[in-house]
Amino acid sequence: MHDTNVLTGPPGHLEVDIAGLTRVEGEGSLRLQVRNGAVEKAHLEIFEAPRYFERLVVGRTPDEVIDIVARICGICPVAYQMTAVHAFEHGLGIEVDPAVRALRRLLYCGEWIESHALHVYLLHLPDFLGYASALEMAHDHQAAVESGLTLKRAGNKIVELIGGRAIHPVSVRLGGFSRSFRRTEIRALRGVVVEAVELALATVDLVAGLDTPTFERDGRLVAMRHPREYPMNEGRIVSNDGLDIATTDWRSEFSEQQVAWSNALQSRGRDGRAYLLGPMARITLAGESLHPVAAAALARTGLAAEIAINPYRSIVARAIELVDATAEALDIIDAYEPADVAATPWRPAAASAAWATEAPRGLIFHAYELDERGLVTHAQIVPPTSQNQAAIEADLAAFAPRVLELSHSQATLRIEQLIRSYDPCISCATHFLDLSMEEVP
Amino acid sequence: MTSATRHSTASQPIGVEVLVCGSMDRGDDGAPMLAIDLVRKALPDDVRVRIVSELDIDDLLGVAPGAGVVIVDAAIGIDAGEVVELPINGFAGRPDGLRPRSSHALEFPEVVGLAEMMRGRPVDGRVVAIGGAAFGLGGALSRRVAAAMPELTATILGAIDRSRVPS
Repeated sequence: MHDTNVLTGPPGHLEVDIAGLTRVEGEGSLRLQVRNGAVEKAHLEIFEAPRYFERLVVGRTPDEVIDIVARICGICPVAYQMTAVHAFEHGLGIEVDPAVRALRRLLYCGEWIESHALHVYLLHLPDFLGYASALEMAHDHQAAVESGLTLKRAGNKIVELIGGRAIHPVSVRLGGFSRSFRRTEIRALRGVVVEAVELALATVDLVAGLDTPTFERDGRLVAMRHPREYPMNEGRIVSNDGLDIATTDWRSEFSEQQVAWSNALQSRGRDGRAYLLGPMARITLAGESLHPVAAAALARTGLAAEIAINPYRSIVARAIELVDATAEALDIIDAYEPADVAATPWRPAAASAAWATEAPRGLIFHAYELDERGLVTHAQIVPPTSQNQAAIEADLAAFAPRVLELSHSQATLRIEQLIRSYDPCISCATHFLDLSMEEVP
Repeated sequence: MTSATRHSTASQPIGVEVLVCGSMDRGDDGAPMLAIDLVRKALPDDVRVRIVSELDIDDLLGVAPGAGVVIVDAAIGIDAGEVVELPINGFAGRPDGLRPRSSHALEFPEVVGLAEMMRGRPVDGRVVAIGGAAFGLGGALSRRVAAAMPELTATILGAIDRSRVPS
């Protein structure tokens, strides 16, 4: 349900005004103007009501914050919880049991599986197969839709068990979880996860063979990297141009800025450069730590080099990460041994807390200040989409001249398809905005 | 799927499932949950209530065989406080812009259509929607939505009666 106007004038002119982007999370629009072959405007406008979570958490305890930030997004609540809990634990010097560490990684795998299955099969695949919607596609490809739903359901089951419920999980606590998990409970997930690994591998075969537009971007990629595992909860922030900093130090390299055309803050490097996060960046910067099953699947596609430069291949990157998350989930389930205690005890104290994790859409950063009672006095929450927004706009500007020769509908499809390649979560991006914004005439 | 309350006994089949969408954290988006709390004691024994936040295909696939469905959601495209009841497929292609507020990644007609395809049969039932004015963070309903709560609860109860699948 969206209104799209593609107005063309003389050759070399194009105006695309997509008033309501579909098959993305949240509500946004695109305004694109090309004149004489040159892009004059490429604005991804995000107009969901700003969310005041950064103010809402002030005065709250860390455990309250962990539950509150999970409500920022219905698609990636675990990312918010994991980032907050790791920030607080690092700031307060809390060590967690190895079983807790493993379960948190399993929880995150569940969210990745849910999110990537939804995006690959129901949001992005229709573009490649030439359908206007997942419903239209399902008439001819019902088996694909069923595979996507089965995969998504596997992720749901993991999140529901460990998180306490499928949406806005509630079990994560500072130092661990609100309860211990028996081995039999975790083992009960095994059947659906074994099936999910097979479906994920079939997903790679499906999407690697899709006819894909050619587009080479030459921009900065940023992701986390860990020496022994594919990045989720731990690692260092790295880039394809040599950046290598601790997860606590995001603010030393990046900053948030306000733009007039969007309710979302945009993040850029302190030198003003845009950068791209997410599956493309992770595969490119941390591909050597993929689970062996996923690494083999990536090698079979022969697309690792193209994933690094062509956003349309992000659907392949997500499929590889589906394999990684399902295969790792299976390993964690098989190796699980319960912790002695559900959560490590801790004491409230004044602290500065900061951390980054890898949400399905890319790196997410949180920073908090705690007073001596352990209550939050300041918070900064930087979701992936607000970090990706500048790179998306830059890529749209670079790509738009290539569609000038296409028909209106084809040009629009290619541009919408490109936006969906980044899987923007607009609900997340509008986390906070100073309301004294200047109106654009 | 965040919670479920079944009024029917274990041996009694479920006649109607009420799927409640929205978020208590987001102003008028919480109206459906508040409304179902107000009518919960008046619900017939064979009614099961599920709080689903954002309607998902699996929510519809989980409807008990033979049961009708009532989906309650906040909406945009109609006046704040206006309550409408329409068939479950009534959102597709509407020129007036009426659409559920809480549907994000997949449009509401897509969710219903895909569920019908997976089920192999139509989803029988009604949608009860209330127009919202404000969906920003905060628990309070807008004045017009708060004033319309009696109409919303009455419409929900009526829709439950009208959604029963003839045996």
